[in-house]
Amino acid sequence: MNDRAENTLLVLPGLALLALAFFVPITQMLILSVSGDDGPTLAHFTRFLGDPYYLGVLWRTVRLSILITVICAAIGFPLAYIMARVGPRLRLWLIVLVILPLMTSVVVRTFGWMVLLSRSGLIPEMLRDMGLVGRNFAIMQTETAIVIGMVQVLLPFMTLSILGIVTRIDPRLEEAARTMGCSFLQSLRTVVLPLAVPGIIAGSLLVFTLSASSFVTPNLLGGSRIQVLAASIYRSVTQTLDWPFAAAQAVILFVGILLILVPYARLAGGRSNG
Amino acid sequence: MADVRLTQIKKSFGQVEVLHGITLDIASGEFISLLGASGCGKTTLLRIVAGLEGVTSGTVEIAGRDVTELPPEKRDIAMMFQSYALLPHLSVSENVRFPLRMRKIGSREEQAEKVRDALETVQLGHLADRKPRQLSGGQQQRVALARAIVSRPQVLLLDEPLSNLDARLREDMQVELIEIHKRLGLTSIFVTHDQEEALSLSDRVVLLNGGKVEQEGAPSEIYSNPATGFASNFLGAANLLPATLTETAAGRAAKLEDGQVFPIETGAGEGGEVTLALRQEDATLCAEGEGQLTGVVAARIYLGARNRYVVKVAGHEVRVLTGTETLYESGARVGLQIDPARVRVLPRD
Repeated sequence: MNDRAENTLLVLPGLALLALAFFVPITQMLILSVSGDDGPTLAHFTRFLGDPYYLGVLWRTVRLSILITVICAAIGFPLAYIMARVGPRLRLWLIVLVILPLMTSVVVRTFGWMVLLSRSGLIPEMLRDMGLVGRNFAIMQTETAIVIGMVQVLLPFMTLSILGIVTRIDPRLEEAARTMGCSFLQSLRTVVLPLAVPGIIAGSLLVFTLSASSFVTPNLLGGSRIQVLAASIYRSVTQTLDWPFAAAQAVILFVGILLILVPYARLAGGRSNG
Repeated sequence: MADVRLTQIKKSFGQVEVLHGITLDIASGEFISLLGASGCGKTTLLRIVAGLEGVTSGTVEIAGRDVTELPPEKRDIAMMFQSYALLPHLSVSENVRFPLRMRKIGSREEQAEKVRDALETVQLGHLADRKPRQLSGGQQQRVALARAIVSRPQVLLLDEPLSNLDARLREDMQVELIEIHKRLGLTSIFVTHDQEEALSLSDRVVLLNGGKVEQEGAPSEIYSNPATGFASNFLGAANLLPATLTETAAGRAAKLEDGQVFPIETGAGEGGEVTLALRQEDATLCAEGEGQLTGVVAARIYLGARNRYVVKVAGHEVRVLTGTETLYESGARVGLQIDPARVRVLPRD
């Protein structure tokens, strides 16, 4: 048996699993999304795209996901840099600290935020006492609450993606930059940041996809008035029992994510090959 | 162009003191080598001059200005790293322009002009648009050199920049380095563990050992008059033989551990324990009884034009570099012919 045949054989189980667990459900979803009472129809799509409410939900999903991704990158890059440059012991502790949110149940974690952010919760109360906000100030059931909750959950994906790249950047490059007239922050901007781009892109892909498709946290923190697409799908499935419409929304979410990610990944690939 | 003055530099990492008070004056335009084995503190000292490492105590002055507390970017220096440290995401010309851009020297056009000049100086003008990883080690090295000289720094710091090159390329680069140093008149501090490199390049060699200056001086002076056993061993692979000073009828002599007596001319005034230092090229082998010392050949190493013998004398290995006319086999008893004037008598370390 030659190498090629051997390789094919080795990849078969993985392919079979992928086909079963991924392609079959996706195909089913595609079929479901165009099925109507009288044969195939695009009615579910036209209904979604013709309704300002659903378009609003789609736009909110994309907007919040981008915002969450940007915030994660803004926090994750400095955090990953610090983790890469401290001693191995402290680094281990920081990694544990960063991935700790992933070890707790999403519901428990979100309830924690609900306690902190609710009208009589710790954070709004404190802000009110300090006189920074008005009496009617609330964070719960706003987009801010969703962003806060999601950033906490998704930060580890961004941080660890960047960390993997930054640990491989030779610290002597920064030193060289310092001897060539860069201040510390300039050396971060001109040397570390450009070299960390592949990590930032990988992290962004993860964070964006995960936040666009999450529904528990947005649902609990945003409440029923502030819908995101995944939560809307969930509602169509469990409450209105309109499965074809849910499938159509899922297809739109799927295509929407692809439309944003493919050019982004292209850009990233082009950069790292250039 | 500026002088560098280091005063009582001490440096500790945690509990360990690696530099024990180093004082060094480097004249403007001088090319000085910090020579020593790995771990002697030479790179740490260089990094202190660069500002990449702080001092525990002591001061660093460049051009009469105390820069001890200044960060690297505020010191007018350039540094060449052993790993070259070229920025991989920038092209060759962008790498060379980097210090100009960061230090805001000149307009865009002037910068481009300077970059072209610097790249011409190292004969790499045709590779300006390449990325560093598309270049060979030698070419990367020259880019690093161009980048170091492009901003005309007051002080050029070189951290073993030639040690990753193969022997041929290294010699070419040494010549080039000397020429550029002469032409630009830069004050240069060169760190190396290679004694030949230090001797051939520098105006002055500073030999470091265990975080202290062991000896400093012009290359010829430090090579011909090593002050200590360490210095003579390090500079020219000398043989060291412990001996005791005695007087014989013929004059002063040194008595080896096995009782052999060797006449000496120079050296340490009072009698007592000394170390005889003898370069391997300063002795020849001859028939037993014809030389001043007798030993047993332990090994012969064929080097092409010459042979290197390892001869056991008084229980110590003595290396002798000699011609190929007569061959002596392992185990043969041989005499060692030595010009007493070439033997240095050093106080026992």
